[in-house]
Amino acid sequence: MRLSYKWLSEYVDLSGITPEELADRMTTAGLEVEGIEPLAQGTNLVIGEVMECWDHPDSDHLHVTKTRIGDGEDDVLQIVCGAPNCRKGLKVIVAKIGAKLPGGTIADKPVRGQVSHGMLCSLNELGVDKKYLLESQIAGIEELPADAPVGETDVLGYLGYDDTVLDVSLTPNRADCSSMWNMAREVGAIMHRKVTWPDYEGKADVGGPTTFRVATKTPMCPAFVGKVVNHVKVGPSPKWMTQYLHAAGINSINNVVDISNFVMLETGQPLHYYDLSKLPEREITVVDDMDTKITALDGVEFDIIKGDLLITTGGEATGVAGIMGGEESMIDENTNSIFIEAAHFNHASIRHTSTRLNLMTEAAQRFTKGVEPLAREKAVARSVQLLSEYADASGFEETIYAGDEKYVPLTVTETVGHLNGLLGTEFTMDQIREVMDSLGFRPEVNGDAVTCHIPSYRTDIERPADLDEEVIRLIGFDSLKSTLPLMSATVGQLSPAQNGRRVTRNVMTAFNLHEIVSYTLVNQDYAENGFAPAGEPIALAMPMSEARKYIRSNLINSVMEVVRYNEAHSNVNNNFFEISKVYGKDAEQERLAVVLDGSLREDKLHKIDERGDFYAMKGILLAWLRKFGFTEGRVRIMENRTDTVHFHPYRSAEIWLDKNKLGVFGELHPVYAAEFDLKRVVYAELTVDPVFNTKAGKLRFAAIDRFPAVSRDIALVVDKNVTAKQLLEVVKKSGGRLVRSSSIFDIYEGEHVAEGQKSVALRIVYQAADHTLKEEEITAAHNAILAGLSKQLKAELRA
Amino acid sequence: MDDRIELVQSEALAAVSDAQDLDALQQVRIQYLGKKGSIQQLMSFMKSLSREEKPAFGQKVNLCKQTVTDAVEARQKELKAAALVKQMEEEKLDITLAGYDLEIGTVHPLMMIQQEIEDLFLGMGYKIAEGPEVEQDYYNFELANIPKDHPARDMQDTFYIDPNTLLRTHTTAMQMRELEKARGGLPIKLICPGKVYRRDDDDATHSHQFMQSEGLVVGEHITLADLKGTLEFMANKMFGEGRKIRFRPSYFPFTEPSVEVDVSCPFCNGRGCSVCKQTGWIEILGAGMVHPHVLEMNGFDPDKCSGFAFGVGLERVAMLKYGIDDIRNFYINDQRFLKTFDRFD
Repeated sequence: MRLSYKWLSEYVDLSGITPEELADRMTTAGLEVEGIEPLAQGTNLVIGEVMECWDHPDSDHLHVTKTRIGDGEDDVLQIVCGAPNCRKGLKVIVAKIGAKLPGGTIADKPVRGQVSHGMLCSLNELGVDKKYLLESQIAGIEELPADAPVGETDVLGYLGYDDTVLDVSLTPNRADCSSMWNMAREVGAIMHRKVTWPDYEGKADVGGPTTFRVATKTPMCPAFVGKVVNHVKVGPSPKWMTQYLHAAGINSINNVVDISNFVMLETGQPLHYYDLSKLPEREITVVDDMDTKITALDGVEFDIIKGDLLITTGGEATGVAGIMGGEESMIDENTNSIFIEAAHFNHASIRHTSTRLNLMTEAAQRFTKGVEPLAREKAVARSVQLLSEYADASGFEETIYAGDEKYVPLTVTETVGHLNGLLGTEFTMDQIREVMDSLGFRPEVNGDAVTCHIPSYRTDIERPADLDEEVIRLIGFDSLKSTLPLMSATVGQLSPAQNGRRVTRNVMTAFNLHEIVSYTLVNQDYAENGFAPAGEPIALAMPMSEARKYIRSNLINSVMEVVRYNEAHSNVNNNFFEISKVYGKDAEQERLAVVLDGSLREDKLHKIDERGDFYAMKGILLAWLRKFGFTEGRVRIMENRTDTVHFHPYRSAEIWLDKNKLGVFGELHPVYAAEFDLKRVVYAELTVDPVFNTKAGKLRFAAIDRFPAVSRDIALVVDKNVTAKQLLEVVKKSGGRLVRSSSIFDIYEGEHVAEGQKSVALRIVYQAADHTLKEEEITAAHNAILAGLSKQLKAELRA
Repeated sequence: MDDRIELVQSEALAAVSDAQDLDALQQVRIQYLGKKGSIQQLMSFMKSLSREEKPAFGQKVNLCKQTVTDAVEARQKELKAAALVKQMEEEKLDITLAGYDLEIGTVHPLMMIQQEIEDLFLGMGYKIAEGPEVEQDYYNFELANIPKDHPARDMQDTFYIDPNTLLRTHTTAMQMRELEKARGGLPIKLICPGKVYRRDDDDATHSHQFMQSEGLVVGEHITLADLKGTLEFMANKMFGEGRKIRFRPSYFPFTEPSVEVDVSCPFCNGRGCSVCKQTGWIEILGAGMVHPHVLEMNGFDPDKCSGFAFGVGLERVAMLKYGIDDIRNFYINDQRFLKTFDRFD
């Protein structure tokens, strides 16, 4: 909210306190001041009178003036002015040489050859926002009243613009402070200063009998207060009221409308004044069951549906309750009688309607945040007072009421022990009572307990803890000690999944992969056309854009976007991994995505190039699983029958852990890769829940073999389609228990090998646990292997 | 005869020390110590000696042989050493040439911060909570003391999926799940890290997706001072020793009292700089005492226990610590950005 320092000081004694100091103290007490700005600014200003004015000889719009700024002989300055309304006899604001204005400093320099010792100013040039000014005020210099005192140097004071506005950010619980009176009470408590509210009580008691009827037909309007004023005189507002409204960010319209806004700012209660003569009947009923259209104050037509709170008279809609009045009953310069409305409209209902109509008016905002229960009565009384004083109001009728809302005063009791127990402080009852007093809580002390009478506007205070907060925030948090909780010991420990994520990070980074975090929200195409979706993609009810409409059910598209971005920015070897939850309707999975785009390690100088290919990915994934204790036997690599849309059908595989298919890894399908302008990228997307949550076997040490191992190599020629797995299985089966391990160390196709065949080099390691192998044993096993390979796979020894 | 021996010996020793390489030394060895070598030949004089003279002569020749052998071996060591030195000289490397380009991958900075916070509190016996990102309105709002149409819902613009389901707007939802699960059992010490979502237009300082880490402690006699001490501990671990904590009153529906927490600026030590906008303080998190109504709704008796909660934005911490000026960096994942975090901190 915009808080006028000058207006505030009408209620709180702020003598000796600068706006900056006030802002600091308010912020410290929980009313954060986000900005401080003068309403208008300018130094070296003086009120002057244009004595002579003639056209500039070298310009079609400039004037040259002789302007008097005092009674002395030297007090007549030649000043060039471009304003169309500049003329002889005008009282003006003069910015003298050296004056500092928001737009810059006034220099002593000729304008098109004519001497100019200053500037004649518009209010806008003094920093007054254009929205508070008339067209004529914006187009020309400010025309001061004929009686303006020439030579007066406190020009901002004369204008009433000698004010500073504090921009206060109110937390939702302190909506009460958007009332000036309540804010004054708060500031008084913060600054330990006396607070005086205007004496308005009982002013609404005036008035004779009325025939006007009000009714509410919905619990969404539990209270409605109205009052007929048979005579008002519409005219300009007093200057001070205009200034205060400006400071608060509200434009001045006329005295009657201004009073309704002014009282709203004072009390927090949104008011609506109707032109009584334009109401078709002397009756107002609040309903919320109509479908209709209504033209609001600003001439725009709105659709009203059932559920919207509506002001009706004679069965016809005349205003959107609590949001905006109707056009027909609007106050204008001819209004001479009014009806005052001060009602309570349900915050939720107002919120729904104003959101739907996109009509967050000042009144709507206040209702949405909650208005204090007694503000209605205050507002009507204050209205009567100000209307009488500034709009010649008379002919009041008695105040009328509808609705059954009753205000029940609240008391809250807290003890010194409980307060200090919660805060960890050592405040005394005296300190506590002083705070409660300053807030107007009328504390009653009874031993260790203090009972507070909560003012009607402090709807945020309901419990002892709320009082505790008042005490600590007003005494200040500086007094708070730092301690650590004293409680029974607990053991901090990672869950299997939490540990699993960390292990995964360790493994992946060891392979020189970088972790990424990409956006959860994706477009429809990505959500629906991804790898193995976790379930039917979930759409947001009101997305911010089509690009972020769905919750991702898989990771592949997000990851490829990251790779594409990096490629486009000339980053090479984009090897990444991401661990993230994915969602489908009623489904949640945690997944690991790994992408290899380039080499894992590349060093031209030292001739190292670990390419990120299918086998690199396989190695990484197996190493990762091994870290969790899952090895051959439990981990299986199978043909990819899951997804050959995103994956190359012949360069991808499924990876399984026990009976859980974890996912697929391999080269991207060229067609899919091309969608992201990518080529041979290798990708894996696995669900990690089984990995993190399945038990591995016990970690056990097996004694190191004492007897030497012997290795023998074989070079074979076999059919090209014989797999490594087939070869190694035959070796294992045929060789018997002496075969400790076997591996393929070279594969060759091409020259010197027949078409359709490949040459494979195998290394077989023989070893026994209990003796040194004899030559005959090795030869026997080796021959058995050769025979097995020959018989079962038609593998021939290479010549 | 003795002169003869001495002559051979001095010739041999001179030849040994003259040998400039192992081959030359081998020649010297053969020449003097070989079967037909000069020293062996001295033995042929033996037969011309008297019986009495023989033993002494033999001894002298043997001594000479030993002396020369020792000299050869010593020279051999020297030459080997010299040869090795020479060989090594020839093997000289340009030590300024680049080493293997061995890089270790990087953990995402947000995860670094998350793990740092987790570890900090694990050490103090906190548990780490888990919870869904697609969350029920009930846990995200209702249990957190934010009923429907509560003005505080405006503080967080929410991505709804349907009227009862949403993308969680804060990790407070996890706190509520854990409180409910505890069914009044004490104590509770939790860290709740995770991704959260709000309807915000993405720009340098706003992101529709971001990460939080909240903490929750509920027990007997937990005080606001305990919260301050705990946060001071955290600030010192995360931003370096000597950090001070400042509380400013604030509002969260699920805490009472509620505070904004500032940490004394780690860049200027509170003297005022561009990072802290000359205030000496940096706002890092929100916190407060768990609202008694929240305790009640979750089955705890606010007269018998109390608790504190705090929540920190991980992006904010990372941006402050590492001088990152645009929050979108965390989600664009430019390799050059990621590689910045190739060390621990």
